[in-house]
Amino acid sequence: MNKRYIPDLDIPASRRREGPRENYSWIGKSMKRVEDPRLLTGKGKYIDDIEVPNMAHAAILRSPYAHALIKSINISEALKLPGVISVITGAEFAKLTGPTVTFSSPAVVQHAIAKDRVRYVGEAVAAVVAEDRYIAEDALELIEVVYEELPTVTDIHKMSSASGAEVLHPERGETNTASDSVFTFGPVDEDFARADLIVRRKIRWNRSGPQPMETAGAVADYDEGTGKFTVYCNTSMYTYVGWLCAVSLGVSPTQLNIIPTLAGGSFGSKLFLHRIIVLTAGLSRIAGRPVKYIEDRLDNMLNADAHGSDRAYDFELAVKKDGTVLSMRYEVIDDYGAYLQYGLGTHGNAFSQVIGPYRINSVQAHIIAVLSNKCQQGAYRGFGSEVTNFVLERMMDATAKELGMDPVEIRRRNLIRPEEFPYIIPSGNVYDIGNYQEVLNKALEMFDMSSWRSKQSEALKEGRYIGIGIVSCQERSVFSSTEFWSLNSPDQPGFQLTSSPESVSLKIDAAGKAFVKLNAPFWGNSPETVVTQIVAEALTLDPSDITVGYVDTDSGFNGTGPGGSRYTVMVAGAVVSGVKTLREKLFKFAAHMMECGTGDLELRAGMIGIKGVPDKEKSIADVAMMSHYFRLSFPDEDGFESGLETTAVYDHPLTTMPPDDRNHLGIFYPIMGHMAHLAAVEVDPKTGHVKILDYVAVHDCGTMVNPMTLAGHVRGGTAQGIGSALFEQFKYDDQSQLLTANFTDYHIPTAHEMPINIRVGHVETPSPYTEFGIKGGGEGGRMAAPPVLVQAIEDALKPFGVEFMEIPLTPQRIREILREVGH
Amino acid sequence: MSNQFIEINLIVNGKSVQKNVSPRLLLVDFLRHDLHLTGTHVGCEHGVCGACNIDLDGKTARSCLLFAVQVDGAVINTVESLGTMSHMHPLQESFWEKHGLQCGFCTPGMLMSANELLKNNPNPTRDEVIEAISSNLCRCTGYQTIVDAVLSAAQEMKKNEVITS
Amino acid sequence: MKPASFDYARPQSLSDALKLLAIHGDNAKIIAGGQSLVPMMNFRISRPELLIDINKIPDLDYHECSSDGHYLKIGALARHETLRNSALIAQYCPLMHKAYQHVAHVVVRNRGTLCGNLAHADPASEMPAVMLALDATMVIRSNQGERKVQAEDFFKGLYSTDIKKDEILVEVQIPILDESFRFGFAELSPRKGDYASTLVAVMFKLIKGKIESAALSYAGISDRPVRAPAAEKALLGQEPSSDLFQKVSTIVVQEIYLKKEDLESHVFQADLIQTLTPRALLNAIASHDQ
Repeated sequence: MNKRYIPDLDIPASRRREGPRENYSWIGKSMKRVEDPRLLTGKGKYIDDIEVPNMAHAAILRSPYAHALIKSINISEALKLPGVISVITGAEFAKLTGPTVTFSSPAVVQHAIAKDRVRYVGEAVAAVVAEDRYIAEDALELIEVVYEELPTVTDIHKMSSASGAEVLHPERGETNTASDSVFTFGPVDEDFARADLIVRRKIRWNRSGPQPMETAGAVADYDEGTGKFTVYCNTSMYTYVGWLCAVSLGVSPTQLNIIPTLAGGSFGSKLFLHRIIVLTAGLSRIAGRPVKYIEDRLDNMLNADAHGSDRAYDFELAVKKDGTVLSMRYEVIDDYGAYLQYGLGTHGNAFSQVIGPYRINSVQAHIIAVLSNKCQQGAYRGFGSEVTNFVLERMMDATAKELGMDPVEIRRRNLIRPEEFPYIIPSGNVYDIGNYQEVLNKALEMFDMSSWRSKQSEALKEGRYIGIGIVSCQERSVFSSTEFWSLNSPDQPGFQLTSSPESVSLKIDAAGKAFVKLNAPFWGNSPETVVTQIVAEALTLDPSDITVGYVDTDSGFNGTGPGGSRYTVMVAGAVVSGVKTLREKLFKFAAHMMECGTGDLELRAGMIGIKGVPDKEKSIADVAMMSHYFRLSFPDEDGFESGLETTAVYDHPLTTMPPDDRNHLGIFYPIMGHMAHLAAVEVDPKTGHVKILDYVAVHDCGTMVNPMTLAGHVRGGTAQGIGSALFEQFKYDDQSQLLTANFTDYHIPTAHEMPINIRVGHVETPSPYTEFGIKGGGEGGRMAAPPVLVQAIEDALKPFGVEFMEIPLTPQRIREILREVGH
Repeated sequence: MSNQFIEINLIVNGKSVQKNVSPRLLLVDFLRHDLHLTGTHVGCEHGVCGACNIDLDGKTARSCLLFAVQVDGAVINTVESLGTMSHMHPLQESFWEKHGLQCGFCTPGMLMSANELLKNNPNPTRDEVIEAISSNLCRCTGYQTIVDAVLSAAQEMKKNEVITS
Repeated sequence: MKPASFDYARPQSLSDALKLLAIHGDNAKIIAGGQSLVPMMNFRISRPELLIDINKIPDLDYHECSSDGHYLKIGALARHETLRNSALIAQYCPLMHKAYQHVAHVVVRNRGTLCGNLAHADPASEMPAVMLALDATMVIRSNQGERKVQAEDFFKGLYSTDIKKDEILVEVQIPILDESFRFGFAELSPRKGDYASTLVAVMFKLIKGKIESAALSYAGISDRPVRAPAAEKALLGQEPSSDLFQKVSTIVVQEIYLKKEDLESHVFQADLIQTLTPRALLNAIASHDQ
């Protein structure tokens, strides 16, 4: 373990109870998913499938202007339309409902319906509640809004000098700069001074977004009799921070019950649908009817609070002439859009793995967060780390080029070695364990690099341009809570929470069947399946004897939910903890039944038996039956209470506080997965068209619970990375109008655009800190695909001498870049 | 403003349906909210994503681009007609085997497109499967396991000589 | 995104449909496949007061040779998918057959009609460019009678054709060309099946190794499909060669983007014209030789 960066950082001891094993019954199996039958037969219950009696429907009036004062709103004509129940302006809404939730500090105030001012095209200006969505939309057209247009700044490099009427939130100050701070981790100046070469590039990551096939929505019912809101929503984090919506609604948290529904994909966009919940609940209260609000696709593209990172980097690497990277220094401007719901979380996140898999000694980051007249950023698969992966890998390639080194070679020279873990990085986070060389070697072998290099040179003779990319990246997993606030100014840090647990409720019924309740939703990750596998493993039950369900916030416990690739690890921790309690109780009953000590017992294939005595055993079902119904058969002591149920809360396995001076951020994201991606592409320089010929992805996600579902995430994440790299952009024009606001203009890849076979490989370095050594792996595909594709394109077009330091690389953009150099 | 209500008679998943509908009621809304067949999903309402694909008189069609009034006299099949939890269609079985879904939202539309393909072409190549599902957007899987599932179902169906309707 | 209200009619005959159009004119819209119209209605960009559904009118779904064998006749309800899979089309209109490999996707082609697509006149769509290359004839009918319009007079601008408010495009007539003709097609689109960034449909007649007539037809580069007459002229009397085709592509760019500002704002299209034109022309030769 290296101590050289932060000598005073002690890594707490591992709380792991279940180590990795040689022989699992269920963990590691590519078991068919428990969730699938109902989804396949059209019986899944998504938010738009929810109907409650007397339900009305809402639609929102979207602002056509990017920046304007709301001078007046005339709703009288809209109210007259038959079938209209209520028409609500932002001012009206704000009488009962406060601003929606934000993690920014100082707060960037957002209302569910804009009050006084609109700040981006698509922002809600008014809402209609009507008998059906069709009528609601008719009524929107009858609302007359008088706007006074304000100027908008669209050049990312000019946003921090915006002033006067260009300022979006004048109450925060005469600036659109939300934050401007420098973080220095380690001896940056000295490292730059001793470098042989400084490599410098400007790199642009344009915004794309998750765009799941299902939009966000809610069904809210305000019970006037009890003053309680019941809200169905396809959100996550409802048991973690959902109560903050109650605060917005001006009621006690017990007066808001959030019921999760299946989500048709999220990729971060449904991490916390505070605005949707607050909006729909508030409307239901005003309208006096239950209200359903489902974003249509226009709402979702313009107004979803779910755009990805939008960054311009000026980046320097300090290197020695043998390719050793000493230090990195960057300035980044991040255009967050009109609000700042997650504070600087996407940069905090990036700090968890900012040096990548390399032994880089120091880091300096100058982060300028600016606000602009665009939909705000949310969480998108990678949450900002996919961008630093991209930038760092592009810098490694630029460095290799300047030094005349092979891209594989320069990575090998810098990779952290297996014996160096746990590895403390300059920003304070820890990489728990890994073997980056093994991942790289396996990927190279699967890809057959030398064969592709031959094909490349053969193709060039025929006037065709094939290129190869190779990247080596981190995929951190299991975020911790300090990330939400550790980048805020230490004098105004906001709410410095340090809990981000996961919980389950577990019971075994009288027939010996296990019933698990989750406090987190289904997103397309496979919570029911992985929980079934882990419970089956821990209790030696058959998966068919396990049922998994979801609880609402009334009955639920603190569960942070999926996101940051954390769910499988965290729920495994909760299950292990819960099973431990249940097992102890089972053994207590069984020991009495079999007249032995609890220490003599073991679980084996659904039986509780005496170790070493094969015929002295009872089934879990028999013991369960006795425990539920036959209290008098057991001693009159504690521990024999009827029944078998428990709840278990599992806290983040490894978090430490950042020091006040923030010269590091503590440990906050230590379960460190890793991947190597390789790609071969063919580029047509005359049209800019890119075809992906081959693709290999090797991931280390520690102990795998279900290799099949993990590979699904790797491929799906890679597909989204392909989208961000080559096809997708939320493009705003010079009036901050969104030009790509529908699926015809925003190009999500289809089956045609994918490589025929994304070959997935696995390496397992079990984490010392998590149950069974599991690491998260949901995001990694998207966190490596962009840099590998851009590198491959650059490699293909090497004869033209151009560099590519941006995404997306659409055919048009590739042609523009080639034309600049006379091609 | 239209006050028309038009009676439509059609067959949906083998059952006769008679309803009065307003002309502008989209077929997908009719299926989901009037008939409570919520297996068909709404993803975009402008005919690009394919989550709303249904079978109209034997061919797939975007139900977000049809009005209920237009399908008077038609025979419609939705995902609910393919199979049930206890008796799944080979395509559903294959999707399950091959992990051809994650969130499940695009899945009904995918199944309808795949079903049409296999009816017309029981022995498709990989490229033909890709072409058949190329207008069904999936954000979760990257499509590869979906293609695997369709090819696997084709094999299964040839073995069993199942007649798909 | 729900459409605005409208009244609905489903006439059982073409004359009934035309009577309705005569009464309602601009306030009515014909719906055939609906694949272009309904999205616009759902976005409330298109708001007809009356939707005239012609899908139940009999005898409009046909594609056949004329009795004299000189042209193909394609009816108002001939669906894209039918035409794409048609052996008749493959044989008698190879250019349409090639272009169809780039048109949309199965589910859209199941409902979408060729005539509907032409009447919609999306400037980046394949079939309008093909019709323009082949000098197709549009047969347009109203209550008053029938008239014919050649393709070059039919496409007027963005989503705009010569069809008047009381008329329906009932048939397209495409000349059947003999063995001396060559056909080629090339397109770049963001994803397969999308409308084009730029596409070119080419046709030329080769007699004794020399080009006797030619058509170069483009979409995605303007507000309507366009031909390149000067470039076409430059092909005449010449033997096909890569050099010739490259030279001619440059002429296309010059004649389409006459003003410097036009060229500067269409650099990508200009590049594509110069790349795709030779490819389509070479493909026309190569595919015939196969």
